[in-house]
Amino acid sequence: MRITNGMVQRRVLADLNEVSARLTATQTKIASGKELDRPSDDPFAVGRSLALRESVGGIRQHQRNVTDGRGWQDAAEQALTHITDSVQRANELLIRGASDTSDATSREAIAAEIDQLIAGIKDSVNTSYAGQYVFSGTAVDKPPYTRDSDSYQGDEGVVAREVGPGVALGVNQVGSQFLGNGQAAGDDKLLHVLRDIADHLRAGDGETLRGSDIGRLKRSMEDVIDVRAVNGARSNRLEAAASRLSELEQSTLDQISDTEDVDIVKALIDFNSQQAGYQAALRAGANIVQTSLMDFLR
Amino acid sequence: MAISSFFGLQTSLRGLLAQQRAMDTTGHNIANSATVGYSRQEALMAAAPALTIPAGALQSGSGAHLGAGVEIQDYRRVRDQFLDLQLRAQSMRLGYESTRSEQLQRAELALAEPGDNGIAKQVENFWNAWSDVANTPNDPAARESLIELSKTLAGAFSTVDDQLAMVGTQAAAEYDAIAGPGGEIHTIATELASLNSTIKTFVSAGESPNDLMDRRDLLLDRLSSFGQVSTVDAGSGSLQVLFGDAAEPLVDDITTNWPQTLTAPGGKLGGLREVSGPGGTIESYRAQLSSVARTLADTVNAVHSGTGGGDFFGYTPGSEGGTLTVLRDAATVRTSASGAAGANDAALAMTALRGGAADTAYRGFVGRIGVEVRETIRLEANAQALHSSVEDRRQSVSGVALDEEMTNLVRFQRAYQASSRAMSTMDEMLDVLINRTGRVGL
Repeated sequence: MRITNGMVQRRVLADLNEVSARLTATQTKIASGKELDRPSDDPFAVGRSLALRESVGGIRQHQRNVTDGRGWQDAAEQALTHITDSVQRANELLIRGASDTSDATSREAIAAEIDQLIAGIKDSVNTSYAGQYVFSGTAVDKPPYTRDSDSYQGDEGVVAREVGPGVALGVNQVGSQFLGNGQAAGDDKLLHVLRDIADHLRAGDGETLRGSDIGRLKRSMEDVIDVRAVNGARSNRLEAAASRLSELEQSTLDQISDTEDVDIVKALIDFNSQQAGYQAALRAGANIVQTSLMDFLR
Repeated sequence: MAISSFFGLQTSLRGLLAQQRAMDTTGHNIANSATVGYSRQEALMAAAPALTIPAGALQSGSGAHLGAGVEIQDYRRVRDQFLDLQLRAQSMRLGYESTRSEQLQRAELALAEPGDNGIAKQVENFWNAWSDVANTPNDPAARESLIELSKTLAGAFSTVDDQLAMVGTQAAAEYDAIAGPGGEIHTIATELASLNSTIKTFVSAGESPNDLMDRRDLLLDRLSSFGQVSTVDAGSGSLQVLFGDAAEPLVDDITTNWPQTLTAPGGKLGGLREVSGPGGTIESYRAQLSSVARTLADTVNAVHSGTGGGDFFGYTPGSEGGTLTVLRDAATVRTSASGAAGANDAALAMTALRGGAADTAYRGFVGRIGVEVRETIRLEANAQALHSSVEDRRQSVSGVALDEEMTNLVRFQRAYQASSRAMSTMDEMLDVLINRTGRVGL
């Protein structure tokens, strides 16, 4: 084959172009730290990376949801603690007031204190988190009880938080479940019982106070404790979800890094060897292009 | 028969002239060593017609032929027509592949994936906004932010759709600029016709206009990168040129016939047509983007209208990608069927769509473009390598090798010098004959 100057020049140029294109690609990788710049770099890896980024986005949102859910639990727990204390105080007052040694004046005083306890319990249960009443079911814009009435204002709806893909966890407690709805017969929840106790104190009905009232208050107390137990269990679930999510986030981030990030050591080694190749190609090219028969003809 | 005493002078003169022409040709080659499309030429030398000496010239009594030196037979253009055909075929393929790869890479850039400006990120933000609304259904700020992010998402779809459409329109415009009246094809055709006319004049006179033929071949090479080219020898140096799948020849002797309708011309025009034409690549990308947008809108709408709140997204069927709009505002977004302030069952159902059909469809779309672009890049590199190898082979035949020309120069120079030495020897001989003979005793 005849080798002409045009061929030599074209080949030298094509080789230099190819080597320097590879060098530039490696340099871009090192500078950006990313293996993937466009879908065509590696269509499969880009698809994987899109899916992984999507799930990290989801995980982070779920973490926010869990934090929000825990806010609800904490607000509810605080209110329930306060209600428990009030019930214990009411229990002491009931025992004192039920004794026949109490006269009408002191029973009236005890009844007045129980009225205050009821008002306090209603204040506690009207607690809100981020502008939402936590004991009103889904009617979060209404307080569960008003000052003037014992009737429940909310609904029985479930407020849930998504804590995983397709996993929603109820975070609310319905106030009427343990405080009841007014003084209707058969309600027998805490507010009803406390109102009855106050009434019996004022009526001097020591027998009922000593008899059924102690039992009813105890059952109401158990209702509150049950609700607290459920609340605590949910807090634990949210706690578990939070730590699971943070592990998941870490492992997904690791996978993203595996998929997208440049192995910097490998890239630097590539870069150096390509640079050496480029310099060698330049030197060889320069020698070939410059040499000619004319250098040797006299 | 006596042979002229001056015969040898003529022989030397022919030698001097022929070597000089050969050196001229070498000089022409060297001067054009960097000219694109130039084919090296050589001066074909042949022995001049010998002097016939009639019978009795030799001792045996027979006649003889006395060599009369050298003459230039022809100035030949060194070229292999078969390699031209191969090169034009490769050049057409390269034109097609590189156009496709360039256009598809522009479409790929329009996606802006992977990154924070692509649709994937906006979809993620959209689901997150629903989650925030699910957490605080009665918070106007969360609803406002959901509506804004939904509009951003719809905008992202329409931006990508616009960009894809623009790649298509620009490719169509480029096609029109090349193939339209006054475009590159037209210019080449006009020049080819005028070269045909000039070349014919010379060829009829028995001449070989090498440099004009080089120019014509170069134009044909260029034409072949735009589309399929074939030539038919129309006799007396004229070429009929057929282009693409046009019904009439592009150039017929000295007349051009352009513009004409093409359907599948191959080459760059074929590539542009395939990208931008009806049913082309861009159209199918936009259709797939629309189908992603429809999947998203329909799944979201199904949940939202399930609450009695009507559709969340609106679109024009058939062009969902470019026409996706948000139909709700902060006040009319529904988070549940009941409408209670804190009820979020519909919002939760919405966030459960995350990673579902719409996301999968979009990933499929990105994956498809990725695979196709990668494939066109590979095909372009392939076509480039084949084109280079044929070009090398053609250069090997037709290209100017300076070392070779220098060697020839030395060869012709030596022959010239020797011819002139032969002439002066002849001269000295004649000097003796003319000026000294018969002067004995003077």
